[in-house]
Amino acid sequence: MKLKEIQFNDQSAERIYRDYLYRIRKEVKGLNQQNQDEILMELNSHIYENLQEHPTGNEVEKLLNILEKLGRPEEILKPLVADKKLEEATKSFNPLHIFRALMLNLTNGISYIIFFILYLFLFGFVFLIGAKIWDPTEVGFFYKPGEVFVLGLSKGLVHPSDELLGNWFIPAMVVSAIALYFIITLLLKLKRTINK
Amino acid sequence: MKKYIVILCILLYIYIMNEDFINKWISQVKKGTLSFIVLNVLKSGKAYYGYDLINEIKKITEIEIAEGTLYPLMNRLKDEKLIISEWVEQESGIPRKYYSITPEGKNTVTKMEEYWHNLNNSILKITK
Repeated sequence: MKLKEIQFNDQSAERIYRDYLYRIRKEVKGLNQQNQDEILMELNSHIYENLQEHPTGNEVEKLLNILEKLGRPEEILKPLVADKKLEEATKSFNPLHIFRALMLNLTNGISYIIFFILYLFLFGFVFLIGAKIWDPTEVGFFYKPGEVFVLGLSKGLVHPSDELLGNWFIPAMVVSAIALYFIITLLLKLKRTINK
Repeated sequence: MKKYIVILCILLYIYIMNEDFINKWISQVKKGTLSFIVLNVLKSGKAYYGYDLINEIKKITEIEIAEGTLYPLMNRLKDEKLIISEWVEQESGIPRKYYSITPEGKNTVTKMEEYWHNLNNSILKITK
């Protein structure tokens, strides 16, 4: 189903309507096409049904009243877009979708903040791969029982011979990132199942 | 004179803060009970589209709801499988999205009602 726009006789009403649709589209553009269409069509239907109830009168005034009662798209769509994005993200394993969904849900509770921190760790592993290529001697996993435990840049504080992984550092970081990524995604799925 | 102005300002401040607190509280109560209200309207089994549902709520309860907050709520209720939705084509070419309650939704609203009655009794006792 595609959106059928409402026809107005008054040009100003038409312009206000189009501006409102534009603001909705802007808010939902991060979602998949089906979800975008659903939200747009439902709000369009709300405006249309409301207009039908009062067939006479000034179109601009009527439309402005309707839109004012409905609220600003930037405000009303925030929780809806955040929920839908999370739905989309947990259906796929696409890291970008999950990251965006987490950003949108950050204000929805402490657990999402924890997920976000876990995600930062994940990006940390990815970053270390680049850092190792950039500076092979200073970056690594330095470990000496009771003395040294550094994952990252040693900054000359430890002896390069304490580095344990050597050429295995990059593969180890890749494996860690992938493992953490699957754990986060599964935990997110689990959290959504428990919530239900 | 200065003293009186200061006292007046303080009283005015307290009054405004108080009003603000009550308004916030009302909006929280409304937000918290909206899902209960929606499920109660839907429990008869009749399907409603968004705008229709808003009108029905206004008619029965005289509660003015922020219309835009209804749609995110409907999505959540659908996510929880308490309601289902269906697009129905209209002659106008602008379809309506009809919502109806599921058996799980009916069970949930019954449990919510029980809780509400208990809460109401407690509140009545405490406000005596």
